[in-house]
Amino acid sequence: MSLKRVQQWATFARVWHIYDAAWQNPFDSAKLLRKHLMGMHKPIYHPLNDCGDHVIVINSKYIALPGDEWKKRVYFHHTGYPGGASWTLAWELHTKDPTMILKKAVYNSMAGNLQRRYTMERLHLFPDTEVPENLLKNVSNQLEQLRPKPKRLDHYDENYVKEFPKLIDLPKDYVLR
Amino acid sequence: MPGVIRMCASGVNPKFHIILQNALEVGVIHGFGSFKVNVLSDGIRTFSVTANLRIKEIITIEDGNHIRITANISESDRKPYLVKNENDRACPLCASGLHVKHTDVLILSQFVRSDGCMLPRRITGLCSKQQRIVSSLVTMAQKSGLMPNLNPANSNRDPQKRYKWEKFNKYFDESTIKWK
Ligand SMILES: [Zn+2]
Repeated sequence: MSLKRVQQWATFARVWHIYDAAWQNPFDSAKLLRKHLMGMHKPIYHPLNDCGDHVIVINSKYIALPGDEWKKRVYFHHTGYPGGASWTLAWELHTKDPTMILKKAVYNSMAGNLQRRYTMERLHLFPDTEVPENLLKNVSNQLEQLRPKPKRLDHYDENYVKEFPKLIDLPKDYVLR
Repeated sequence: MPGVIRMCASGVNPKFHIILQNALEVGVIHGFGSFKVNVLSDGIRTFSVTANLRIKEIITIEDGNHIRITANISESDRKPYLVKNENDRACPLCASGLHVKHTDVLILSQFVRSDGCMLPRRITGLCSKQQRIVSSLVTMAQKSGLMPNLNPANSNRDPQKRYKWEKFNKYFDESTIKWK
């Protein structure tokens, strides 16, 4: 009997997830984050059922865009006054606020209904790994990254690089430089 | 490549005499290849001392008016870790059957000089297709800032201190590489 009661609590409890955005595409990540923020991964999901979870996103400063999108993607804003239009490149926006691109990506991935603002309240964005302790203690799940985080050559152990299998050898008369 | 020193007889800097002297000395002692020394303004004289068949590291030490050029001759340190190419027709990369991505810096760094430049095909020994693919992958890895220690000595090696949009993380799609 008591098991059913706990199941009932667990069903309607808000789970806190943590997501590391380092080297992740913000627009692919937005789809994953939206799913958890709206509670679409739960069998009890219904648009009128307020069952969404909280997501803490860390390292939003270190998101990765493909190719040359940092200087090609443009964000438009209009103040409402004549001549109030402005176009900001992604790298300019990211320099001003390192959480804004991810925030806009999640916001734009959701339908523009009355629930959207409340759903966004459950998204907690942090530019680096510094998260307030009172938020971090709620976390009980980590969302898997969508693409593997690449490792820099100078972060490998020096001996490991040296002893890694080599495909080619330098020719015998090669002058090192 | 053998060491090449060129100088003119007219308006000779005394410093260059010393270079020449030391270079000749080193050429004899350390088994340098051949020198091209333009002793007179109108002629080039070439002479070879020994066969040059080892990997060389050329070290230039400068103190005061003296410049010493020495060559360290050594075995390749890759030799014990070399993957044997069983296939006698395919190039090393084709024979390995690997699908290299631009994040595989441990493989890509083998085809790169210490300043981050791609080695030419006569040194890598790859087929023309793989040479083009690998040079694109090396460019991608460098743009992503994954090989910051393989860069020119005077460059800014920290990817996060790069120019404007270049300081942020970026990744590439390998299917965009055109090799035909
Ligand atoms: Zn090949």
